[in-house]
Amino acid sequence: MERNQMRRQLALIRQSFFDQGFLDEQFIQLEELQDDANPNFVEEVVTLYYRDSSRLILNIDQALERNPLDFNKLDNYMHQFKGSSTSIGAKKVKAECTQFREYCKAGNSEGCMRTFQQLKKEYAILKRKLEAYFQQARQAGPLETACRSRN
Amino acid sequence: MGAAVDHVTPMGMSGGSAEGNDKSEGQRFSCKSKLTALVVDNGGVCRAIQTALLRSYGVETEAVETGEAAVELIASGATFSLIIIEMLLPFMNGPGTAKQIRAMGAQSKILGITAFFDRRDRQEFLAAGADDFIEKPLSPEIVIPIIRELDN
Repeated sequence: MERNQMRRQLALIRQSFFDQGFLDEQFIQLEELQDDANPNFVEEVVTLYYRDSSRLILNIDQALERNPLDFNKLDNYMHQFKGSSTSIGAKKVKAECTQFREYCKAGNSEGCMRTFQQLKKEYAILKRKLEAYFQQARQAGPLETACRSRN
Repeated sequence: MGAAVDHVTPMGMSGGSAEGNDKSEGQRFSCKSKLTALVVDNGGVCRAIQTALLRSYGVETEAVETGEAAVELIASGATFSLIIIEMLLPFMNGPGTAKQIRAMGAQSKILGITAFFDRRDRQEFLAAGADDFIEKPLSPEIVIPIIRELDN
């Protein structure tokens, strides 16, 4: 059956996100919160993440154009960025946030700028992957076994 | 501290019972008494996730964006079993919020939370009246023992 094949493929794609380090177990916690009352919780939260983060990225980009850099401001932006990235399980993005903050604390402008480019790259890669994943999930249709139903 | 979480394998099959997710019986952990919580975080994603997590355990949860909003809510008479406050808030910060809440006589359990753990932030939060201070994400391993404690 095509639908079962799609779901098997979807499961493999999902597993690859963990195997390749894009997502960590926090993403599973989000899936655990998805149920009949909140059937699209994961996609909604991820969509919210990308919407809010795009604003933060713009702010950080602008802040990185200043001379000299306001490390305190950058640190504050990154604090929020890391908080939300951690909360959705965006493992690689989270790691770049941590690295960025180290450079901030050290007052290392070049380090901040370099790390932020890498962060944006990881962020965009994950976004593409998740968007494709959710699109395929919609095509495959709802799972009979939701994360919080009986085994 | 806290039990290891068994990873949920694809298609929603659990490897076994983990803290708070007793999937072997298909039941999710739930609080016994009527518990209420307030989430104070200027990030929409964190508010959404923390609120959903607490509600999934039966805790009636509200969320606000600022320390000022939290203080106003409590000043208006709202009481909460648990208040989770982000360290970095837009105006009055987390510890400042906790201090004002305690000054109003609130007996709630206050949990400070942050994106980047810092010892000095922890000291500041605890001195302000928080009961504990953790790094995000808010996880079942953290929440379930708190709920059990509040239930008793």
